[in-house]
Amino acid sequence: MKRETRIALLGLLVPLGIVILWQIAALLQKTPLFPGPGKVVVAIWDNYPVILHQLGITLRRASAGFAVAVVTMIPLGIFLGRVRVVGKVLEPLMDMLATLPPPAIIPLVMLFAGTGDWAKIVIIAYAAAVPLLMNSYEASHSINPMLSRVAKSLHLSRLETMRLIDWPSSLPMIATGARLAIASSLLVSVTSEMLLSTNGIGTYLQRSQENFRIDAGLAGIAFISLAGVLVNAGVFRLEKKWLFWHYRDQRPAE
Amino acid sequence: MNWAIWAERLRVPICAALLLGAWQLVYALGVVPEKYFPSIPTIATAFWAMLNDGTVLSAWAVTFGRATVGLIGAALLGVALAIISDLSPVLSRGIRYISDVLQPIPPAAFVPMAVFMLGLGTKLYAFVIILVTIWPPYLNGVAALAGVGSVQLNTGRMFGLTNWQLLWQVKLPAALPEIFTGIRYAATISLIAVIVAEMLAGRDGIGFMIFKKAFALRTPEVFGLMFLVGLNGVLLNGLVNLLRQGLTGWHIKMMERPE
Repeated sequence: MKRETRIALLGLLVPLGIVILWQIAALLQKTPLFPGPGKVVVAIWDNYPVILHQLGITLRRASAGFAVAVVTMIPLGIFLGRVRVVGKVLEPLMDMLATLPPPAIIPLVMLFAGTGDWAKIVIIAYAAAVPLLMNSYEASHSINPMLSRVAKSLHLSRLETMRLIDWPSSLPMIATGARLAIASSLLVSVTSEMLLSTNGIGTYLQRSQENFRIDAGLAGIAFISLAGVLVNAGVFRLEKKWLFWHYRDQRPAE
Repeated sequence: MNWAIWAERLRVPICAALLLGAWQLVYALGVVPEKYFPSIPTIATAFWAMLNDGTVLSAWAVTFGRATVGLIGAALLGVALAIISDLSPVLSRGIRYISDVLQPIPPAAFVPMAVFMLGLGTKLYAFVIILVTIWPPYLNGVAALAGVGSVQLNTGRMFGLTNWQLLWQVKLPAALPEIFTGIRYAATISLIAVIVAEMLAGRDGIGFMIFKKAFALRTPEVFGLMFLVGLNGVLLNGLVNLLRQGLTGWHIKMMERPE
């Protein structure tokens, strides 16, 4: 434990060194277009109420898009995984969707839905849909055949099998998909706001650039990063808590 | 049950037919105004016209070149970081701090801030792509290098390999399959980063072209270009797979062999 903390503290020297180099480079450049970490900290202090407000808008949108994707894609994925013929036949279609990056559909959605809230929620939902669909399909598709046989010999009904066998055994993989989906809905929400400017942290970044306030922009990026780290940590916690049985069973196998 | 096997064998044409059929049905029913939802032949003609005047091909070459070069750079740097992390636990922890902080930031966010420092040229794209693409090869590399089996390592030591030889001849080859999983994921990210950066930088490439056509309400062209973007993904994935087979063919053969 003591060695661990020593490594953790010494490791901090690496980012610290980079920040110092950055500060030195910024001092040598002497232009407001290349602010150093000191200026960014000042900008954070000056702008944090605005940034937090805009970030709140972004996070609300990201969660709305993610929720839409969860409600539609997990059932669809499980359906495609269980009804094998349909799933197998539609596999190339899913692969094709996976290669189309979410930002590429932004201009298209703009044509249909304009630049408002709904357009962005659709784009975020699309971004979150791909990992959710793929993982829930893969999970329900590759359930251990032994488990299905157990269900049969216990004379479980179709519904009971789904609730007691299929759902828990595909949960860990769906959770992985959800984690990826959360990360990409955060990323895409910012991107969509930068391209379809109305409000939110992405628009804030664009405005900062237009006003040549690079320091304020970097302050905004710092908050995006902080939000991402916190959300990831929260998701990790929840996964550990809800899927403790999965992690518990995994350990002896190592 | 025979038809099921046939359905599976013919799934690519079936998918294509379903997609095109559904598309044409929506078009024929007129649910969406034609301006926003052109028919397949209209899209094909528009795409063909763009191909013929050469604008698409040059834009495509620019975009695909950027994505490929960026991916190669990011993969090499990522593996280098993973090797450094494997050698020193302190540096490993330090790099991990940086990756934790940088990973949640979308590629788009870097563009407006970096434009003033790096201009609109190669430097901007290299910076943005590498900054977001480097993490999957790095993270997979760290996990894979740490996970090399002790039997393999001890065998290497028994043959009297130095630490450096052990890294190059035992650990790195053993880690390569997992590193390639990271690179495949990175290929997707690299394409996304290029398209987004081009949309925001607004000078050249497919990303810029899509946006320009969308603002001009040239819907058939937008659909055609989106098809091209999807094709890019398939193409880059194919390239990565070729390289993977060349470098880790032994592993693939081993996985296919029945035990």
